[in-house]
Amino acid sequence: MKYLSVILLLVFTATCAQAASVSDPAQSLKNTIEASLDVIYAPDYAAASLDEKQKLIRDVVEKKYNLDILIRRAIGRNWSLMNESEQVRVLELVKQLVVKAYIGGLNGKARPQVIFEKSIQVSDKRLEVPSLVITGDKTIHVMYRLGRMQSGWEIYDIVAEDISVVSNYRQQFDDHFRKGNGAELIQKLQGLLERENIGEDIKL
Amino acid sequence: MKTLVKILNFKRFGRCLGLGGLFVAAAVCAQDEYLSEDELFGEDVLNGSGISDPLEPLNRAIFQFNDFVYIQIFDRVGEFYTTVTPQPVRTGATNFFNNLNYPVRLAGNLLQARFANAWIETERFLINSTVGIAGTMRPVDTIERFAPIPKEDVGQALGSWGIGNGPYLVLPLWGPSTLRDLAGLIGDRAANPVQKPFSAIDHWKWEHQAALASAEVVARLTERYGKIKESQIDAYGALKNGYVQHRDAAVAE
Repeated sequence: MKYLSVILLLVFTATCAQAASVSDPAQSLKNTIEASLDVIYAPDYAAASLDEKQKLIRDVVEKKYNLDILIRRAIGRNWSLMNESEQVRVLELVKQLVVKAYIGGLNGKARPQVIFEKSIQVSDKRLEVPSLVITGDKTIHVMYRLGRMQSGWEIYDIVAEDISVVSNYRQQFDDHFRKGNGAELIQKLQGLLERENIGEDIKL
Repeated sequence: MKTLVKILNFKRFGRCLGLGGLFVAAAVCAQDEYLSEDELFGEDVLNGSGISDPLEPLNRAIFQFNDFVYIQIFDRVGEFYTTVTPQPVRTGATNFFNNLNYPVRLAGNLLQARFANAWIETERFLINSTVGIAGTMRPVDTIERFAPIPKEDVGQALGSWGIGNGPYLVLPLWGPSTLRDLAGLIGDRAANPVQKPFSAIDHWKWEHQAALASAEVVARLTERYGKIKESQIDAYGALKNGYVQHRDAAVAE
């Protein structure tokens, strides 16, 4: 029994220590971003269709990060204005929209260079990872905000050129739900996904 | 013997208590290690976006008008301009007008008591205007000491004095603004050397003024507009929020 207590104590201490120093989240983020860029630019995926690329990028990203967190934060208080099936559908459609816009935004452009700068430890549970996205003569500052969850480090906001993606989408959801409802949102999202030129005008 | 049993039981009880405490401590430690639901989806999320927009119907109508003009006219003008003008000429023109806008940046810095930056702006202007052939080139960028600094304007100065954004506005052709930034824009105009009533280039005709204004607007809008136009659930809301966030960050900088 005495030994059992000691072993438990060691396990407990090790668990806490491990939680405090989980493998470098910035490196993990970088790997994920590079892997998603590989899907668009690496010759191995050149023959893949747009749909296949979308699926591959989602696999890469969702293996590491739970996109539901970002989207639910963006939806904010409007979340409770939708029923369960609408919530599930909206989550799925927004994911598709974001990935499609990501691919469309890079379509026909050279692979951007992504440089990660020193991470900023905001608190034990929050980390900010600044990065530079360089394409041609343009440099964009992108900050990833990560939070420690039981599932690991999760992205809870992305700030591009001082504009928080969560806040920006929340504005749109707020504006929509002032007059509209979940069913209309789903219709709108489906309409956006049917457009072919999504993201083509997004300038990096 | 009974005493021994009692002692053993007491020890067992003590161990159980110790183990229980350990598990509780472990649970508490685990809870503290992670972001809670409240922290993640809490107050700031529930408070909503909170940008004052009392003129929304009018703003949306102007937004639609601007959208039409940007896409049907400005975009084509921009394409034509890009086609007929070589890149070095376009860069030179951008540099020239940017350099000429020095008084606006100077006023923005002085109004915020940023004297060091005001001095850097002055040095940059003097060198670019002379060595850089009337500001068409920017030789000063190659000198580390004169590295470009954030552009300041009167609207930012008003923000740094604690004046809030006020209601959100969409100005015809100009695009997103706020009441504070509209006041700033009037101040910028007063400081701008190419615009009346304080024009330093009096002989410019209205056509030149219009061409310059169009070039400014096209350059300003095409840079940001395309980024947030497509793939948005509500392009109006996206632009409104993006503009206010961007300006708030510029004021806080």
